Amino acid sequence: MEKPIDLNESQWQAVCHQGSHLLITAGPGTGKTHTLTRRIAQLIPSLKSNEKVLAITFTNKAAIQMQDRLAALGVRQPQVFVGTFHAFCLKLLREYFEHTALPKNFKVAVPEEITGFDKEMLKRISLLKSSQLAITPDDEHKSYQRYLRQNGWIDFDDILREALLLLEDENITGQLRHRYRHILVDEYQDCNIVQNVLLKKLALEGVLLTAIGDANQSIYGFRGSRVELFRRFQEDFCPSKILTLQENYRSSPSLLAASSQVMGGVQLLAKLSTQGKLVVHQAATDRAEADYVAQQIEKLIGGLDMNTSRRAVRSLGDIAILYRLNAQRHVLSQALEHLGIPYQVSQKAQKAQVYSDEDALGQNEEELEYNVEKISLMSLHAAKGLEFPVVFIIGCEHRLLPLDLMVLKPDTHSCSGMKGGPEEERRLFYVGMTRAKEHLYLTYAHRRQLFGQTLIQEPSPYLADIADELKAYEAAKRHITPKKDPDALQMKLF
Amino acid sequence: MKFIADLHIHSKYSRATAKNLDLENLYLWAQYKGIHIVGTGDFVHPKWFEEIKEKLEPAESGLFKLKDKFAKPIDAQIPKSCKGQVRFMLTVEISNIYKRHDKVRKVHNLIFSPSLKAAQKIQTKLGSIGNISSDGRPILGLDSYDLLAITLEADAKNLFVPAHIWTPWFSALGSMGGFDSMQDAFGGLTKHIFAVETGLSSDPPMNWRLKQLDDFILVSNSDAHSPAKLGREANVFDTVFSYDGIYKALSDKNDKGLVKTLEFFPEEGKYHYDGHRNCHVRWHPKETIKHNGLCSVCGKPVTVGVMSRVEALADRDEGAKSKRWRPYQNIVALPSLIAEAKEVGPASKAVQEAYMNILGKLGNEFYILLDSPIKDIKEAAGDVLAEGINRMRQGKVEIAAGYDGEFGTIKIFESGEREHIEQQLVLF
Repeated sequence: MEKPIDLNESQWQAVCHQGSHLLITAGPGTGKTHTLTRRIAQLIPSLKSNEKVLAITFTNKAAIQMQDRLAALGVRQPQVFVGTFHAFCLKLLREYFEHTALPKNFKVAVPEEITGFDKEMLKRISLLKSSQLAITPDDEHKSYQRYLRQNGWIDFDDILREALLLLEDENITGQLRHRYRHILVDEYQDCNIVQNVLLKKLALEGVLLTAIGDANQSIYGFRGSRVELFRRFQEDFCPSKILTLQENYRSSPSLLAASSQVMGGVQLLAKLSTQGKLVVHQAATDRAEADYVAQQIEKLIGGLDMNTSRRAVRSLGDIAILYRLNAQRHVLSQALEHLGIPYQVSQKAQKAQVYSDEDALGQNEEELEYNVEKISLMSLHAAKGLEFPVVFIIGCEHRLLPLDLMVLKPDTHSCSGMKGGPEEERRLFYVGMTRAKEHLYLTYAHRRQLFGQTLIQEPSPYLADIADELKAYEAAKRHITPKKDPDALQMKLF
Repeated sequence: MKFIADLHIHSKYSRATAKNLDLENLYLWAQYKGIHIVGTGDFVHPKWFEEIKEKLEPAESGLFKLKDKFAKPIDAQIPKSCKGQVRFMLTVEISNIYKRHDKVRKVHNLIFSPSLKAAQKIQTKLGSIGNISSDGRPILGLDSYDLLAITLEADAKNLFVPAHIWTPWFSALGSMGGFDSMQDAFGGLTKHIFAVETGLSSDPPMNWRLKQLDDFILVSNSDAHSPAKLGREANVFDTVFSYDGIYKALSDKNDKGLVKTLEFFPEEGKYHYDGHRNCHVRWHPKETIKHNGLCSVCGKPVTVGVMSRVEALADRDEGAKSKRWRPYQNIVALPSLIAEAKEVGPASKAVQEAYMNILGKLGNEFYILLDSPIKDIKEAAGDVLAEGINRMRQGKVEIAAGYDGEFGTIKIFESGEREHIEQQLVLF
């Protein structure tokens, strides 16, 4: 078969690979989803009737996107199940519910409805359930489980654990292995141990697993994800092949070079020749930082009234502002509102939440009546998988990037200090940088108000990893003099 | 009944507007100017809408008046000669910024509403879409087409008027942020638009050159950002004094309710010619073509003004008239005429004093500009101003055209001419 023009050589290799498990290492912007969907489409014709492909995505949103892309390639629902681990496992529990210890018509517990338990304790239990296979529950844990059962509930983490129990039954596993001949998993670097074992049970007896991901983008260690599973793939799934996608179609060469330097020399090839711009800006305070960001945005979208008009380069939907902590958002919102710049705050880290079977199938997505463009505000975690022509990362400061909550917020519980460790913080910063296609602004403040404290901040150590020739510095204007902007017009009332 | 309406203004809640732009000052200045119906502007802004509901009360159908207790203190300031009836109509301008066909579009649109209920519906809908509290003219990342759909859905009697359609940066047909046709911008809903606003930098004959504008009636408004700028442009109606009267005059192709528009000399507008303000490059469109559109100082593309843009989109020769054409009259604001007569700045104290003085003697500004016998003006304010107004009425005004955001400058008298006109008085 001849290589189609919309796939490069290594993507094509990944699409066509046969005969063993496959791990595709795919850095940011290398066409991960594109390759994965094309591989699914390629696998479908080899299936016998009643056989299916199982495609696991990281979020419901990603599942919907993949379904759409597959539909465009002519792949229909019965031949493929696309969903998150949770959606898939919930489906299994419903199908084989008689083989479980669950009550008939069990419901998935909505966190807001769980009452009478300490939030930190629930977090601890959740982490335990997603990071360890064998658990000896303590009294608190036991009473929580009893509470769930009394209500006929199953919590988010138990969806996976119950499914794992179900797969102890070789009869069922056998049936599933006959049904799902190919399993494809996206964002494999964020798999936890429970998910890993689930896959190990299913990917046997001729069932082949394709995992795709990027160890450099593993950012959910604090939730039980284990990046070492990615590195251990060939031991877990044998025999297997590893392929690497290196060609980046997202970012301009200079931005790609900068993010690679932060990651200690990632080997990615820039395929675009767009002009990139990386601006580092130091502000006196977090407030000044927010004002700077708002003013830059006004410039980028060509001014907001006759007095500041200039050529519009960007639209509102082209721009994202990323931050480490939601607590950084308040000042930013104020600055944007002051200028009347429309913005939206993305929902908290896009967990693969399923609270109902509708959620599991991605049918509860809110339908917007009108397409409204806004500036996107979100945490670095929530930015995963997205891309924008212009990205601002604010608060590029030590103790924020990498985060050290123990210093910023001394009353924090010990378990959530630097949650996923310093290397995960670096990866998080890398994820943020690699969202940008053309313009990347890294800003930091000298003085910052956070959690009721005034902090004197230093620039993030990551900034020093970027070569100077890639950075354009824009100094903070400490004394605002009415300096004439050559492109903008002065305001004139009469 | 014959009346003058200015339906595009802003409140103190809009960006870069005067702090005293409130309902009382609109009421005051509408009388100075001789305007009978003035837009409220900004009705989507929650605080302004509250003020509207607090201070205005229903008058003629779809129109509102300032409640007596708020009007009384103002009435004392108004010279007898200027006293007139002022009504408000619910209006708002929206700034739509969005991407269409991979190009950033920035289009300003006006909405007129017949009732508080209709206005409230629009406010609620837009409030659910974006931030309507930061700016009286809210910035929404919403396609103009969708805004039109929302407007029509909220009330069938709402009017949607694309604002100053030629302004380069913020308009439906603007060279920088607009479209090549109204159809491109508004698609299948275009037929629900009855009127377009010409803006300060274009006059009706320029608009008549486009067949695509034939179905629209042309309206003119001040887009005032301060009370004193009211009535820079306006519409003269002769119809039923109500929202419905205006609605019919704009929507019904056979209705003759819109009698004429009062217009800036287009050259005086900020974007008539092309150029770069900071490079001091002011070009006639022909000059721009000669330079391939690139500034001779900085080398970047010049801001393409209204005259060039009209030329680019026109499909009729100069002198043609559109189906719904109306007469128009060019005016120069009275303070500018006084300033020109006195050779002082238009914002100077001398001008303000002379302005109030002549208003007290003769009547409101529109009366003075349009109707007052020249001999009365001579008596009240001297020969030079009288001659200035006379020349304005005859269109004998010399203007260095505006460009790239810089207003054009008016010249009515040659140097030495003023003294000559005054001496004539001594001789006779």
